[in-house]
Amino acid sequence: MIGRTPWWSVTIVAVVGCIWIIPVVGIVLTSIRPPSEVALGWWRLDEFTITFDAWARVWGQFPLAQAFWFTALLAGLATAGTMLLTPAAAYAFHFLKFPFRRLMLILIINAFVLPQQVVIIPLFQLWRDLKMIDNIGAVLIPYVGLSFAWSIFLVKNFLEDFPKELIEAARIDGCSAISTLRHVVLPNATTPIFAVGILQFLWTWNALLLPMLYLRSNVPLPVLLTKMSGTYESNWDLQSVAAIVTTIVPLLMFLVFQRYFAAGAQTRSGAKE
Amino acid sequence: MPETVATGEADVGGISSPKGGVRRRPLATRGWRLKDQPAAWLLIAPVLVLFGISVVYPLIDTIRLSFFDIRGLAPAKYVGIGNYLTLFADPGFRGTLVTTLTFTLGTTAISVSLGWVLAMLCAFTPRTTLPFRVMIFTTFGISEAVSGYMWINILRPDSAGLLNTVIGVFAPGFSHAWLGDPNTALWALIFVASWSGVGLPLMLCLAAVQSIPRSVLEAAYMDGARPAAIMRHIMMPLSMPGVRVAIFINLLGALRAFDIIYVMTGGGPVRATETVGYFMYRESMTQFKLGYGAAATVVLLVAVLVISIPAIIQRTAGAR
Repeated sequence: MIGRTPWWSVTIVAVVGCIWIIPVVGIVLTSIRPPSEVALGWWRLDEFTITFDAWARVWGQFPLAQAFWFTALLAGLATAGTMLLTPAAAYAFHFLKFPFRRLMLILIINAFVLPQQVVIIPLFQLWRDLKMIDNIGAVLIPYVGLSFAWSIFLVKNFLEDFPKELIEAARIDGCSAISTLRHVVLPNATTPIFAVGILQFLWTWNALLLPMLYLRSNVPLPVLLTKMSGTYESNWDLQSVAAIVTTIVPLLMFLVFQRYFAAGAQTRSGAKE
Repeated sequence: MPETVATGEADVGGISSPKGGVRRRPLATRGWRLKDQPAAWLLIAPVLVLFGISVVYPLIDTIRLSFFDIRGLAPAKYVGIGNYLTLFADPGFRGTLVTTLTFTLGTTAISVSLGWVLAMLCAFTPRTTLPFRVMIFTTFGISEAVSGYMWINILRPDSAGLLNTVIGVFAPGFSHAWLGDPNTALWALIFVASWSGVGLPLMLCLAAVQSIPRSVLEAAYMDGARPAAIMRHIMMPLSMPGVRVAIFINLLGALRAFDIIYVMTGGGPVRATETVGYFMYRESMTQFKLGYGAAATVVLLVAVLVISIPAIIQRTAGAR
């Protein structure tokens, strides 16, 4: 930046960074070394063999593949729902006029403070009465419904800098409100829509509480992982594989799209990127 | 429909009024919203339905249920504020409140202060420290269930637990069941939550520091300020907006914590790690005391709303 760099600042950050990924290294090594070798610790190097035995066995012993696809399905559907409905509502809230507009907007964007614990008892009763327990709708509806609290805020914030002249031009050219959304706003608002999609995907992929309560036969990965650690005692290698499988997709997405998280606050100006 | 677009046009003269005259606010910022109610309702209808089912209804129903005694499938019995009286007379719940406070404040204090210090250190050499920043931020992208599992592995009491082994180097024969001892289990959880939470304050504070105009820093440097002085007098005060946001997000996240507690300790040992957010789950979903659990949820809700007052005011004022 400016002036000479104090060397110790880099050293401290480096040490913390290395300590921070030790647990990650731990499960990766546990998953690729035979259990006999790691009984005294995954970091011991007296003998070091790499085996993909656990990686091969885990699919037969636990419904991991099924859970993987099921998680992908849930997260995909919830993400699609949010990405589809949020921009439409944000557009309506920002560019259209209708009764109670501001009141509804205030209610929706402030709901982000609510903890998901508020949802579980009423929805548990509701799904039980409607015989919806174990139906994917039982988790998809709250996944999408809860996401509006932050997603509409994010997209509407972006639309605040959207040039009104474009909207007016489209109207004068004879676009209806909905075709203005389709042909003018959506093509120019891909950045916040994708940011919303990524956040929603990570959130739904990692969700544990709602699927644990509302799904029975088919469960997503985080729920399966907690069940696995409860069943057998000494299957650290298999559990480590399951842990990696559980987190690899969201983790890669997170790393690739880091700028959306880190720079999200700064890049909300400018209609296009 | 075009007539609604044109509302703002007539007032253009108001902007260029002569000096000293009352400068009227250009109407272009006010009455320009398009009036097309059918389209508007069509666009927001799905959102209203889903939001109603998954936020408004549960919110109202949780508050309503908290005044009833409901056990499993038996008919609900109205008990007024009975559930709340029972809650606050229950020493277990009072312990839960203390645990929640310790967990929330401990996690926030550790992750925000550590994240802030790291951000200050990174600010000097953003490029060199990037790989290490990614390492720290990565933990934020790992599912909580998996973070919990990773740390169970590190904290294992047997010989394959890394923490005991490292301590054992200095104190031979040392072994401690970190998650099995009520005195250390909560602090182990606080540490793990901070481990995964530190990346966000780091990024927010660094973003705040990096948005300081370069000319400000150059001017300070030309005036002979050393790095320590630049940090003390420019970076620290200007990173405060990032710190405030980070504190709020961390408080909110810690109050609603569930996954990490469920995975690592299940609220135990002897309920030493049970926060209000976990208490309501156990009472309502494993003991099936739905009304009692709802009352605990309302207590959690009040705590969340109190710390969110500034954020709610800000968002409400900004909602145009």
